Amino acid sequence: MTARRASILGVGAVTPLGRDLPAIQEQLERPAPASSGVLRVNDDFLPGPALSRRMRRADRFARMAAVAASDCWIGAPSACEGIARQRIGLIVSSGFGPHCRGFRFLDGILDCGDAEALPTDFSHSVHGAAAAYITEVLELRGPSLTTTDFEIGFEQAILLAQCWLEEGVCDRVLVGAVEEIGDVLIHCASRLLGKEGFVPGEGAVFLMLGPADDGGFAHLEATALPADLDLMMLDVPAIPSPAVQKPAAVARHTTTFSPYFGHTASSSAFQLLGGMLAIRAGRPLGRIIQSASTADASSVAVDKAATFKPSCDPLASSLLLTKR
Amino acid sequence: MERSSVSIAGVGAVSSAGWDAASTIDSFRTARRNVAVKLPFESAITCPTFQVTAELPTLPPALNQSRSLRLAMKALREAMADGEIDKFDPQTRVGVCIGTTVASQLNSIPFYDAYRRDPGAPGLDAVNDYLRANLAQAIGQLLGATGPRMTIVNACSSGTDAIGVAASWIRGGLCDWAVAGGADEMNRVALAGFWSLGVMSSQPCAPFDRDRAGLNLGEGAGILLLESSNHAKQRRKGSAFDVAGFGSACDAHHLTAPHPDGRGLDLAIRTALSQAKVAPARIAFINAHGTATVDNDRAEGKVIARVFESGVPFVSTKGYTGHTLGAAGGLEAVFTLLGLREGWIPGSAGFENQADDIPVAPVRRRCTISGDCALSTSLAFGGNNAAVLIRRLA
Repeated sequence: MTARRASILGVGAVTPLGRDLPAIQEQLERPAPASSGVLRVNDDFLPGPALSRRMRRADRFARMAAVAASDCWIGAPSACEGIARQRIGLIVSSGFGPHCRGFRFLDGILDCGDAEALPTDFSHSVHGAAAAYITEVLELRGPSLTTTDFEIGFEQAILLAQCWLEEGVCDRVLVGAVEEIGDVLIHCASRLLGKEGFVPGEGAVFLMLGPADDGGFAHLEATALPADLDLMMLDVPAIPSPAVQKPAAVARHTTTFSPYFGHTASSSAFQLLGGMLAIRAGRPLGRIIQSASTADASSVAVDKAATFKPSCDPLASSLLLTKR
Repeated sequence: MERSSVSIAGVGAVSSAGWDAASTIDSFRTARRNVAVKLPFESAITCPTFQVTAELPTLPPALNQSRSLRLAMKALREAMADGEIDKFDPQTRVGVCIGTTVASQLNSIPFYDAYRRDPGAPGLDAVNDYLRANLAQAIGQLLGATGPRMTIVNACSSGTDAIGVAASWIRGGLCDWAVAGGADEMNRVALAGFWSLGVMSSQPCAPFDRDRAGLNLGEGAGILLLESSNHAKQRRKGSAFDVAGFGSACDAHHLTAPHPDGRGLDLAIRTALSQAKVAPARIAFINAHGTATVDNDRAEGKVIARVFESGVPFVSTKGYTGHTLGAAGGLEAVFTLLGLREGWIPGSAGFENQADDIPVAPVRRRCTISGDCALSTSLAFGGNNAAVLIRRLA
């Protein structure tokens, strides 16, 4: 397989910690807040006034996605300067999609009958609704994909974005993950996974990616488990199993951002967000769960950081960040 | 190493038009429409549908509850047999990219009805079935695949988009093989949804017709087994067809309605032609999306007239299969290949009279085609548009 990597030209996120990246970074330097059981995105973070009219029918899922994508776009004003909108691709990954709106459509069927459920609930229950809003708000006309996977959707989205950039399908790819947490999912998760150590979360993370030589503060690469990392980011409360001891062993420090953002089907996106902020800060952030050295974590520079998730595709089990 | 092109090693299709490629061709040849009047579930909605009556493979118990997965595996097994592949060499990287709509949603009405009455009451079988049946994940698991995987949920263009993504993987060297296409089952929630939008016809659908009154839902799966041309050379296997071009573009216009002039579809088709280095005049025919809704057919017809100024034969096969949603792009790519292979395309079932608002008309009867390239097009909710160009190799 050809080695490939992309440049990160912009970042946008909406999380239980807010959507202002410096403020999120500050909070990741402090101990994680005590869990209240579920980590939700505060409605005050959604959406900005510029989005409100176009998105008046949109639900939280689409709003979270559109806000994070728009923040990514606005936060990197030069990233797409001079690039035709049809040369900008979009990939949105999610495990559960807009399931809350889907259940609302089922409410309509159960309460009013098959023939009387609301069309707006149906059209917004379709996975691609968030991407449709993003393309409309940002006037993107390139390829747009929505994907679903409960484990490695974000890794595969990054891999495809790199593929598109390398192949010349696009000059930029806006790639992101979005997850919403609703009552049914919380209930099912607690019964299926148990409550100990598992804190459901939600939010959206979007990156603007460009070719490797196009600037940006870091390179990103979907790859096999790398060696010699400054920071490994894992979606676990501790290191309970051999499956994660191996990746932890390749890094000077291992951290997790799950106590801050919660656990989601797109956890790698939120771990990556923490990793990007650690690279910007120049030191490890989050809850350090293992250190290979006795040196104070805050004194270690972070130039290389990676996520890891055991995967059917071992050549894309990590998302590797390298400071430029 | 030379950048690989994307060979098509085998195809499989299951729909109401046929349980495999051969029986589908027979339905097309005789213009047979297998319209069902009875739904497979209780519903207050009455409308024609297109259902699969073929026996589907039995899968391991943990996966056997998903009809979409069983449809996909039926088509995949046919594609593997067509390509004379018994099983994949474990040393090769196999990618799986599948489009769907229904299989992506936790839409069990019995489960949710019980949950509403008492959240603790329902068992979690429906949830577990849903979690296990992510199509790309489940197919990858059944094949023991170790390459990239993606389940695409781009609504009605999902199957076409899946073929485009898999082709990118192969050209990029990410895998040697890719299972690509789409699968979707008949489902009460989707039926109620399209009914709520007011786009379903109470009669068998009539794509591109003056009196078209909406779509009929269908179910099925269409799978292409793609292979890197470099890998095929190593196996000393030739291929008769390849994926020569793909284009995808957004309308950026509306959540459900296509752009009135079809600007996204126009761009998608031109991108596919450009990637294949093929002029519009070389296209032998188009297997159009042709849902029989007023807006879709008008926008698509305008684009066909604009891009193919000197005319091109085109057909909508939804008169034979219904609208199979996430499966449609996979099925119609297979039908496109079959058209090139057979040298003819079927008449556009349901079409009688030219519409005033559509500048072109599909073929009325089975007709002979000549040429080595053909297009399959898809439009979708969210303003997604995709086109795949299939080429017969010398």
